Amino acid sequence: MAVFDTPQAAFGALRPVCVQLTRAQTVENVRQLQAHLAGVSGAALQELQEYVLFPLRFALRVPGPKQERLVQSLVQCISSVLAATCVKKQELLQELFSELCTCLAPPPSSVKAAPLSEELKLAVIQALHTLMHSAYGDVILSLYRPSSLPLLGFAVSLLLTLAEQEKAKQIKISALECLQVLVLQCDCQEHRQLDEDEEQQCGDLFASFLPGISITLSRVIAGDIKQGHKPTVSAIRLFYLIVGLVMADKQLARIPKSKEKLPVEHSRISELMIHRGSDWTKSTAEKLSLLLHKVVESSSVHPHWKVRLELVELVHHLLRNCSQSLVDSFSHLLKAVVGLVNDENSEVQSRCNKVLQGIAEQRIVAQNRALADVLSENLHSLATALPRLMNSQDDMGKVSTLSLLLGYLKLLGPKINIVLNSVSHLQRLSKALVQVLELDVTDVKIVEARRSEPPGPLQQGVQKGRCQKKYFRFFTEEKVFQLLQQVCRVLGYYGNLYLLVDHFMGLYSESGLYRKQAAMILNELVMGAAGVGVDFLQEREVPLNVDDLKGSITSILDEYMDQANWYLVTSVDTEESSPEQSEQHLGLAVRAGGASSSILLQSSEPPVTTRTMNSNIWQICIQLEGVGCFAAVLGKEFRLLLLSALYPVLEKAGDRTLLISETALGTLADICEACGYDSVQCLINENSDYLVNSISLNLRQLAYQPRASQVLDTMLRNSDASLLPLIEDVIQDVLSALDQSYNSQASTFLRVLHSVMTALVQWFGMPSAEEHQQRHSDKGQSRARSQGQHKVTMTSQEVEQFFLDYVSQKRIAEGDLPDLEEEEADEIPLAKPEPSSDTEGEAPMPSHAQLARDVMERCIHLLSDGSLRVRLKVLDVLELCVTMLHPHGNHLLPMAHRVWPALVTRLISDDPLAVLRAFKVLCTLAQTCGDFLRQRFSKDVLSKLTSSLLSQAPASARAGPVYSHTLAFKLQLALLQGLGSLCERLDMGESDLNKVADACLIYLSAKQPVKLQEAAQSVFLHLMHVDPDSTWLLLSEVCCPEGYEPPHPSLRPVKLSGMGRPRNELTDNVLLLLQRLQQQEGTGPRTSTQEASPS
Amino acid sequence: MSQGPKTQRLTVLMALPPPDPQFVLRGTSAPVHTLHFSCGGPEPDIPLLFSGSENGFIHVWNLKTHRVDTALDGHGRKSVYCVETMGGKDRLLSQGRDQRICLWDLAEGRTSVTDSVFTEHMGFCRCSLLKVAQGRWLMAMAARSLEEVQILELPSKTSVCTLKPEVGAKLGMPMCLKLWQLSCGSQPVLLAGYEDGSVVLWNVSMGKALSQLSCHQEPVMSLDFDSEKAKGISGSSEKVLSIWCLNEQQNLQVYKTHELVNAGISDITIRPDKKILATAGWDHRIRIFSWKKLKPLAVLDYHTATVHCVSFSDHSSPWDRLLAAGSKDQRISVWSIYAQT
Repeated sequence: MAVFDTPQAAFGALRPVCVQLTRAQTVENVRQLQAHLAGVSGAALQELQEYVLFPLRFALRVPGPKQERLVQSLVQCISSVLAATCVKKQELLQELFSELCTCLAPPPSSVKAAPLSEELKLAVIQALHTLMHSAYGDVILSLYRPSSLPLLGFAVSLLLTLAEQEKAKQIKISALECLQVLVLQCDCQEHRQLDEDEEQQCGDLFASFLPGISITLSRVIAGDIKQGHKPTVSAIRLFYLIVGLVMADKQLARIPKSKEKLPVEHSRISELMIHRGSDWTKSTAEKLSLLLHKVVESSSVHPHWKVRLELVELVHHLLRNCSQSLVDSFSHLLKAVVGLVNDENSEVQSRCNKVLQGIAEQRIVAQNRALADVLSENLHSLATALPRLMNSQDDMGKVSTLSLLLGYLKLLGPKINIVLNSVSHLQRLSKALVQVLELDVTDVKIVEARRSEPPGPLQQGVQKGRCQKKYFRFFTEEKVFQLLQQVCRVLGYYGNLYLLVDHFMGLYSESGLYRKQAAMILNELVMGAAGVGVDFLQEREVPLNVDDLKGSITSILDEYMDQANWYLVTSVDTEESSPEQSEQHLGLAVRAGGASSSILLQSSEPPVTTRTMNSNIWQICIQLEGVGCFAAVLGKEFRLLLLSALYPVLEKAGDRTLLISETALGTLADICEACGYDSVQCLINENSDYLVNSISLNLRQLAYQPRASQVLDTMLRNSDASLLPLIEDVIQDVLSALDQSYNSQASTFLRVLHSVMTALVQWFGMPSAEEHQQRHSDKGQSRARSQGQHKVTMTSQEVEQFFLDYVSQKRIAEGDLPDLEEEEADEIPLAKPEPSSDTEGEAPMPSHAQLARDVMERCIHLLSDGSLRVRLKVLDVLELCVTMLHPHGNHLLPMAHRVWPALVTRLISDDPLAVLRAFKVLCTLAQTCGDFLRQRFSKDVLSKLTSSLLSQAPASARAGPVYSHTLAFKLQLALLQGLGSLCERLDMGESDLNKVADACLIYLSAKQPVKLQEAAQSVFLHLMHVDPDSTWLLLSEVCCPEGYEPPHPSLRPVKLSGMGRPRNELTDNVLLLLQRLQQQEGTGPRTSTQEASPS
Repeated sequence: MSQGPKTQRLTVLMALPPPDPQFVLRGTSAPVHTLHFSCGGPEPDIPLLFSGSENGFIHVWNLKTHRVDTALDGHGRKSVYCVETMGGKDRLLSQGRDQRICLWDLAEGRTSVTDSVFTEHMGFCRCSLLKVAQGRWLMAMAARSLEEVQILELPSKTSVCTLKPEVGAKLGMPMCLKLWQLSCGSQPVLLAGYEDGSVVLWNVSMGKALSQLSCHQEPVMSLDFDSEKAKGISGSSEKVLSIWCLNEQQNLQVYKTHELVNAGISDITIRPDKKILATAGWDHRIRIFSWKKLKPLAVLDYHTATVHCVSFSDHSSPWDRLLAAGSKDQRISVWSIYAQT
């Protein structure tokens, strides 16, 4: 089709159809016009706008009933004209507006006769919509004069009716959209921005419609869900737009006190106009509040997320524009947004967060006391209901309740302190938190799980302190706990830390029921105060004061580590003698032995139930976690607190309850990281002075000694020789503590002494002379100096001596014999260095050797302790001491002398286990004190041992398989296993060796248990080393497999009593031993044997 | 019945655990001979404790971290037996067995000896310091010749006078000195304890002995004087503490004596508030007495060797105040006794 660009051409084309239409108003004609319009350019049509509209409007205005289809096509045609052109005249706009509205209005006579068709309604709505968009700039404002109020009102009511009552979704939506345009809140960007005065005018005008619009819309919003989400969304949008406009704080602030008088001719209209004074505002806000409540209720649970999203927008819009006028509604509105923070739809979530963020950032709450009041009121009522809700709701319900709580707190931000300053608020809140956080303490495993016995050195990479998984009584969902954590942290972040810490410390000490929860909360509060892991909406106003934080942390730490809160009963195990028990149950534990002890304990003590112990374990763990938190929060500043905090944590690291020791290790790792130590080793090494201080002070009190020794133990495992001066000091304390309580604490201290000696042996085990001197700075230095001098004099002496010798030799060679005087003179320089070498010999022992000697001294006393365990331990320690003192023979010998009587008793009349260990000690002693021991051993011990071996032999030979479980067997075995090496070490005399050999020979019998045979073999193998010849002879006397031919006939033939003997029980073993002997001495029969053969 | 209250008190005493030191400072690696606190500074100042030990080091202990901040080495590894601050914590005076008294400048991390006095005295007599004006001190010290005490003005080191006992007095060497004045501006007076067990009051400006009192059979090891009550106390190697007073005629009189359980007192200090006093005993114990009636209040048992010195801190807040004791066992024990009294 041709396009008519010029008005002339267009006119030419359109004129006939227009004339036609004017003559006959038929659908066909309208359609023709419409068809022609398509070919006319926009500019051309603009010129002809009124001309073209005339026939259309004429047709509409024709009185009398009209065909619906005709009206519809007319309206559509108008609509298309308007879409392509602008309305530039006010009159035209008003007329068109009213004409279109009339089309929608039901014919006055037949109200219920025939409802308009849906298509027509839709067409009219769209035409109105188009009209509003085609109105040019200021022209549109002419509609919004007070004089047009009736017309506007008419249109609004029409559209509202449609929106509410129509079934068709499309009509509803269109009507709502049209309304939106009508109140000048169109979404599209084409409209001119109104200036303040104009807006104010419109606001005045729309105030008249507000009741109608808001009520109807709220009905639409709360309407049947079947209407779909789109109408609801549109209705919500329209709702907040119109409310936001009419109730805008900005506008209301500018409303004059009294109503403006309108010119007289508008008196009727003036009655319709509303004055938005304070009374009106108040009553309207009240009514709106009801409506808003309804809106929020229905749409916050709407199944479609777009509705919920729109609700967020509603809150956002109203809060931004009407935070003062609608303040009473905000409790609902904020609740809605806060509640939607955790919506299942991520878009709603993120929008919610953004809106909340926006609210917080703009300090809407902070600057608005009333809003803060609303929020704190909400908070209070929520806190009141919280315990009940937590009891009754399922986990999902708890999540939403808690996110609501969290939202309130976040929104309040710095204003939280208003809430906290009110005692009742704070109490409600804290009670609720404490109740919700109640732990489940029924799990028996917590109490049962023990650490494996030997506590290894603290690993380098102890896993970083992750919180132990806790089990709560009222919920299982992890999300709930996270929310609670956030709640506490936000409180800590904004709240007055002193106030909060004081309050929760109060709860902590108020009752054991609250203690764990209060501690958990305190930990989180501190984290929050430091801004660690807090999800906040706005920065706090006052930056954190580190000194305040430190002060709070110090006071919490003091409370945590108070005796009453740190040392709790966590097990009923008396064996390990956890201090509090040994204190309480000392008497009982002595009476009740073994398995029955726990029963006895429970019957006489206030029952320590598993529950209590579980609870105690958790309390300690939470407190330990707290220490970790505090360290993390303070960073390097925490180093100062290590003075008091490190020792208790280390103590717990050695606890026998698995959970506690693991948590403590985590805490140590946290501390390392926070304070900048590379490893736990480093931490302990660099703070050993603090630890030593605590250990030494704790050693002063009997009840704390086991704990202190445990820490010392841990320390020793994790430090090195550089700490000796410090440790030396504390070991002296241990020794003096031991001196005061040999009976009760011996086993505890022995463990420490054992680790002390192990450490010393490890550090100074193979000390070369140089290392000695370096380690012991003071004494070592002087010693080194004197040694150095000594060396010099020695060399000079040598040189001197050399020359003297040379000279004297030369003289002698020359025949000049020296006379006596000269000889004496020569000797003087030789004698001189003597004293210095004497002092050298008496030089003080290095301190580690001194320690070893001191420890050994205690061992002497403890060697005859009543308990086998103690004796065994003592023997172990003794062995280490002896090893340590090896290089200092002149100190070791007197000690050995003193140890001897007690050791002998162990050797000859004690449990086989003790005998075996005593043997080990003996062997170690033998390495240095061979001469010293040889005599005594053969005199005091040997004969008893051999005779016991001899007397037991027949019994073991006869015995059955069960025998290997008897004590007698163990004793025999221990003796046989030890004797060989001992003989070798002591380099014993021939008669003693014979005694041993005689005693052991019978054990070579095949009738003896195999183990004893083997042990006896070992004795002989050792004897072979000491004296191969006599051993050979002895064995050969028993059994000699081969004959020996003398190398020369003049020699007597070799006759051994073992030759040609029949095979007996000893044969096998003897042959085996002879074979070994041969291997040892080289191949072939030894020549020496022949020389040694008996004469 | 008459035994009732006594046994009751006894059980109460037994029920109480023995008091523990608040903390113990280790690491001097030599016996500690003298201690001096400097804790009076305002908040950002770190409270310090100076200790002088037998190996010639002066350790500056940070009482916040309980660690040595600096170790000063100025007496040629000879025992340091007196440390005093002059004014603030930045100026220090120390006396050692190398027969020198050193003045230290410790400001801004410096550790230098600014000046020194050669005493030529062979004994153990600690010098005594008295501030007479801003930046001006009098110092009493045992001089070279056996019985003399010399008074110097610091920092100028000019000799004020030399106090010589009358010929034939046979006092022996001075063992301990206490320089004091009744009020600011009044005449400085010196109390000196001598080897023969007597305490002599000297008028410093006239260089004349005012009064002499024979308090002990053995050398006076230490004395302290309370100028408000005009009452002093001295200890020796005997089992007795001697309390004496100064009457209006400037005469020393024995006030009373107090019998001790174990013999030997190496140091006596009256707390600055004059309420209690502490003694350092050869029996390894520190004893606390009330100053008014000399009632024994506490026996602090921690050390494992002779206690050489006791010192009270000068914290401005009474609650922070401490007592420190240094011992031959190389440890310094610090006690908080204010909390208990």
